[in-house]
Amino acid sequence: MWKLNSKGGFTSLIIFTVLALAWIAGFASRLFAVIRFESIIHEFDPWFNYRATAYMVEHGFYNFLNWFDDRAWYPLGRIVGGTVYPGLMITSGSIHYILHLLNINVHIRDVCVFLAPIFSGLTAISTYLLTKELWSTGAGLFAACFIAIVPGYISRSVAGSYDNEGIAIFALQFTYYLWVKSVKSGSIFWSCMTALSYFYMVSAWGGYVFIINLIPLHVFVLILMGRYSNRLFISYTTFYILGLLLSMQIPFVGFQPIRTSEHMAASGVFALIVAVAALKYCQSVLTKSEFKTFFYFGVLAVASIVFLAVVVLTYAGYIAPWSGRFYSLWDVSYAKIHIPIIASVSEHQPTTWFSFFFDLHVLVPTFPAGLWYCIKNINDERVFVVLYALSAVYFAGVMVRLMLTLTPVVCILSGVAFSTLLDFYLRDNDTPRPNESDDEEEKAKTGGRRLYDKAGRVPKMKHEQVREPDGIGSNLRSFVLVVLVLLLMLFSVHCTWITSNAYSSPSVVLASYGNDGTRQILDDFREAYYWLWQNTQDDARIMSWWDYGYQIAGMANRTTLVDNNTWNNSHIALVGKAMSSNESAAYKIMTSLDVDYVLVIFGGVIGYSGDDINKFLWMVRIAEGEHPQEIRESDYFTEQGEFRVDAQGSPTLLNCLMYKLSYYRFGELRLDYRNPPGFDRTRNTIIGNKDFSLTYLEEAYTTEHWLVRIYRVKKPHEFNRPRIPVSSRIIKSQHFTSKKNSKRRKGTLKNKALVVKGKRPLKQS
Amino acid sequence: MIDTENMVRYISPVNPNVFPHLTFVLLGIGIFFTAWFFVYEVTSTKLTRDLKKELLLSLVASVFSGFGIMFLLLSVGIYV
Amino acid sequence: MFNLLILCALFINAYSLETVNKQIVNKNIERSIDLSSQLVKISATLTVENTGKESASNILILLEPKTKSNVSYISVKNSLKEELKLTEVEVQDHKSKQFYKVELSQSLQGGRTIVLTLEIVLTKSLIPYPSSISQKDRQLVRYFGSHYFYSPYNTLKQKTTVNLGSRNIESYTKLKPVSQLESTIVYGQYANVQPFSIDPMVIHYENNSPFLTVTSLKRLIEISHWGSIAIEENIDILHSGAKLKGPFSRYDYQRDVGSSHHSVKSYKTVLPAAAHSIYYRDSNGNISTSQVRVRKDWIELELRPRFPLFGGWRTSYTLGYSVPSYQYLFKTDKNQYLLHMRLLDHIFDDMQVDLLETKIVLPVGVSNVQLTTPYEVERLPDSLTYKYLDKKGRLVISLRKTNLVEHHIQDFEVVYEWPSSLLFHEPISLTFALYVLFLVIIIYVRLDFSLHEAKSEHVKTQ
Repeated sequence: MWKLNSKGGFTSLIIFTVLALAWIAGFASRLFAVIRFESIIHEFDPWFNYRATAYMVEHGFYNFLNWFDDRAWYPLGRIVGGTVYPGLMITSGSIHYILHLLNINVHIRDVCVFLAPIFSGLTAISTYLLTKELWSTGAGLFAACFIAIVPGYISRSVAGSYDNEGIAIFALQFTYYLWVKSVKSGSIFWSCMTALSYFYMVSAWGGYVFIINLIPLHVFVLILMGRYSNRLFISYTTFYILGLLLSMQIPFVGFQPIRTSEHMAASGVFALIVAVAALKYCQSVLTKSEFKTFFYFGVLAVASIVFLAVVVLTYAGYIAPWSGRFYSLWDVSYAKIHIPIIASVSEHQPTTWFSFFFDLHVLVPTFPAGLWYCIKNINDERVFVVLYALSAVYFAGVMVRLMLTLTPVVCILSGVAFSTLLDFYLRDNDTPRPNESDDEEEKAKTGGRRLYDKAGRVPKMKHEQVREPDGIGSNLRSFVLVVLVLLLMLFSVHCTWITSNAYSSPSVVLASYGNDGTRQILDDFREAYYWLWQNTQDDARIMSWWDYGYQIAGMANRTTLVDNNTWNNSHIALVGKAMSSNESAAYKIMTSLDVDYVLVIFGGVIGYSGDDINKFLWMVRIAEGEHPQEIRESDYFTEQGEFRVDAQGSPTLLNCLMYKLSYYRFGELRLDYRNPPGFDRTRNTIIGNKDFSLTYLEEAYTTEHWLVRIYRVKKPHEFNRPRIPVSSRIIKSQHFTSKKNSKRRKGTLKNKALVVKGKRPLKQS
Repeated sequence: MIDTENMVRYISPVNPNVFPHLTFVLLGIGIFFTAWFFVYEVTSTKLTRDLKKELLLSLVASVFSGFGIMFLLLSVGIYV
Repeated sequence: MFNLLILCALFINAYSLETVNKQIVNKNIERSIDLSSQLVKISATLTVENTGKESASNILILLEPKTKSNVSYISVKNSLKEELKLTEVEVQDHKSKQFYKVELSQSLQGGRTIVLTLEIVLTKSLIPYPSSISQKDRQLVRYFGSHYFYSPYNTLKQKTTVNLGSRNIESYTKLKPVSQLESTIVYGQYANVQPFSIDPMVIHYENNSPFLTVTSLKRLIEISHWGSIAIEENIDILHSGAKLKGPFSRYDYQRDVGSSHHSVKSYKTVLPAAAHSIYYRDSNGNISTSQVRVRKDWIELELRPRFPLFGGWRTSYTLGYSVPSYQYLFKTDKNQYLLHMRLLDHIFDDMQVDLLETKIVLPVGVSNVQLTTPYEVERLPDSLTYKYLDKKGRLVISLRKTNLVEHHIQDFEVVYEWPSSLLFHEPISLTFALYVLFLVIIIYVRLDFSLHEAKSEHVKTQ
């Protein structure tokens, strides 16, 4: 049955088991929200992705690509096919299709909710493959286990978070694995696979720009280091051309790869590597001295031509400069001044040291160790991972959201560090070892060392290898092992705790825990959205702040004015202006936009701090950006410059539409006996303007905890009857005198037209 | 209406309380045989491969895994 | 010959038209109209005497004009509480009136009397008036009836008691003798009322009972021979009372609402005693505001819709549960099985359902299906549905009926044949699929994809 040479089989069984366990662990630790609440789509952005996927499942793929959504951004509409990355929808749509072919009738919502956890397992596997190519199998297993549970990745891929990053990180890792494999082997097959995987990445996420800049950077650095080889040439040229053509198939990307500055690095490096290859060929043909002059001339000429071409084209407008979102990565204060919408998103704020530790725990100190090991034992593919690490660290420092791109490389390098450490301390001597995984590592490491081009080193390492075991006593070894194992256990405890507490809230359903631990669920959002769906007419238009647009479209199935796509700043500014003006000015804007209902979020009864009054200043700023004459941010502050909603608040604030809609009839509500009526629990103060009434709107629905308030906009015909004073009112009299008498039987018609043949009828008054 | 008082009530051939235990046993055996098959495939070379052994192993593995998956579905609540 | 046939047919037709037997007389009628809920429940005790010599085998019952479409349930019982057969008939000279013929269990001899109990339930007969009210107003409805019991026979004595359920009566028509005591109006003894006499009665009063209409109820019953029957109901509910006009103020709602308000906050559904795995959700996800209470003979589920229902507001939800199969599935013969389940289940007390669609999904491979229903339903064509990993579909029986009330909660029966070996077709197909997968691996391992032995080595060492 089990022969002695089944050690290899046993090893592969262990690898398979560890990877399967990593997949299961990654899947399971993302399920906190589903178990605590239910299988529901979280947050805001995933609701749009879910709605687009549901549309695709219902209407077919081509109708989805050509979809013009007229229920968003009323009255402008949104071209969904051309402004969305379809990879996510296609992935879940295909899974849904395959399951339905087998008659497993899973609802598309469940497919969407569980897609990210399933792909986290695939990410672990591709991280294993990538690290195995870079270092060894042992490091690969470590890296796979790390990335399965690390919070930095879990934050964007819990069950229910149906967003692009869930599949994009898998595509990223897989593309990098294929790229490293193709550089190592130099085969066209692997380069083509890289291009295909890159195509999947382009369809999945806007972060593909990272790949198309990192790989050319890697090639460039390799050329600079003198590590040019034919393998590199084959892999990069194949990848670049195929990748370029494939990436332009996505409607959203379109012609950007040949037009925008973000993609110019790839083209430049392509031109450079072709030039270098040509030069190398010439080198083999010409003599050395001829070649030297030719070489310097050639390099200078090519580099300057390429550079001039890029600059000229950029100035001439054929190549667009860096777009706002990517430019703000270099110039950090740009967004705050010029594009307030980008600055207002909390995920775009700079990263603090706290969040590094929060998301990565013990991997933060081991990551530089792994980086150092890679630099010390440099070869072609380790240059790549060093560049990846350095650039990822920079970008993660700029924006919290980009912690996600740092996480995979941290896991890889920490895996390398742990593997090297354990290998060093677990080694006994040179004889065949009982520990199989060690043996495998050892084999792989010696195999890796064979790739060093410093031939002289190899024997020295063997020599050192023999001396080492005597230098470490067994006590020190066991101590280090115990500490490492303890660190790893603490890491997994930390990850699970963070996942459970910080990243598992659906944010559509709120829960509060009473004194005895009983849970009270606050389902106000769904209550309000369901009310909107059932009790308003199908083409009703809802005005709310752009945060809730996707949720309203997804859960309430109604037309919205602005939503999270934020592609039209002026439209958002118009909504912001309506919210910041007083009622009559707002009414003019609302009738011009054909609004039927207004929705506001109000957290004053339960102390919810993400409500619209807390976001109000951003509404004012965005409105001020477009209408600086009518809206001034300083009007909404007190003389001392404070933002207050109590009696000392500025009168503009106390009379604006947002204030009135949030606090309508709140002044009469008494929450508990300690505080007077009108006490706002979120701002911890009594509101200033209590007894007011609304002229142009009426309250249509407020949820149980006052969290969502919906108002109906009254139509013009409900007001525009001018008020007639009592004295001049004419009451129809009961008596009616007929104009008929015995002679004249015909009655008369008021305003009857006199018809004469041949002439136009004159109106008789 | 037909009088149902004297008729035999229909009971499932397997006691529903036993479903989870059956699942564990059957799936466990199925996974064991699958692992054996997998190791055999990985370690054998072109010359040492035995077709009859492969077919037999995979048959046993698929029978146990198939029944195990079905009882897994039943114990979760998907009554197929 | 042909003409003779036609003449015969016409003659038979004319003969099958009923005539009113003038010898039958209503000696005493005691009628009680219950208007306390959203339904109109009329219960009348008729003491009928055959004053003639011939025995009468059936009696005619007459419905008030224009109420036919509102009649949801009608039944006549004799003094032994046995239900008598009712058929709709046409009567000569009174073609436009709606008659029902009651077949007596024993013929009524000349000179004898018999006591019958008539029960009618009308839906949508209480009209909210005013039709739109604001949140604070009371809900007032009007009932249009008749002071006299509408009958084709002479009535010697009759009395009607109207139970309103609330003391606030706006107005009511008075036909002497009439008396009102708190929430009951008694229209006193009327003597010697002629046949077909009708006197309009209008009562305008306050009715705060829940006015909920289930506009559509889709009930799905799935049978699995592994021991469980799953039931799922998709319910659309509309508040059919006076419509809400003006704003809805949450503040006033939270402060004022007592137990008798025209809005509906929650209601209780009764589920079978062995129900488990109950879920209550809608298209947006799970609805957490529900309470399950286990009672002795049933399970009471208190459901609270996501928002309170005011006039004109609607909501919809899905309610599902499972019951073990030994409760409802019986084995008759070797391979024959009998399913005995409710066609319509309880949703809330005094419910009215506009449209019911019941679907019964039978296991794979059934044959020889027979269906018996307790009352007339419309049977739609059978269809096939596919569940997990099915290749051959499962037979689905579809039934439809409109205008139902609580009295329609009765059992239907389905008899079918099914070989018990089909129980294992699922695991066998799973095994087969896995075996095919293994075969693919076996074949794949034997394939060789390398281009050329020497070349591959050359590229690797570059």
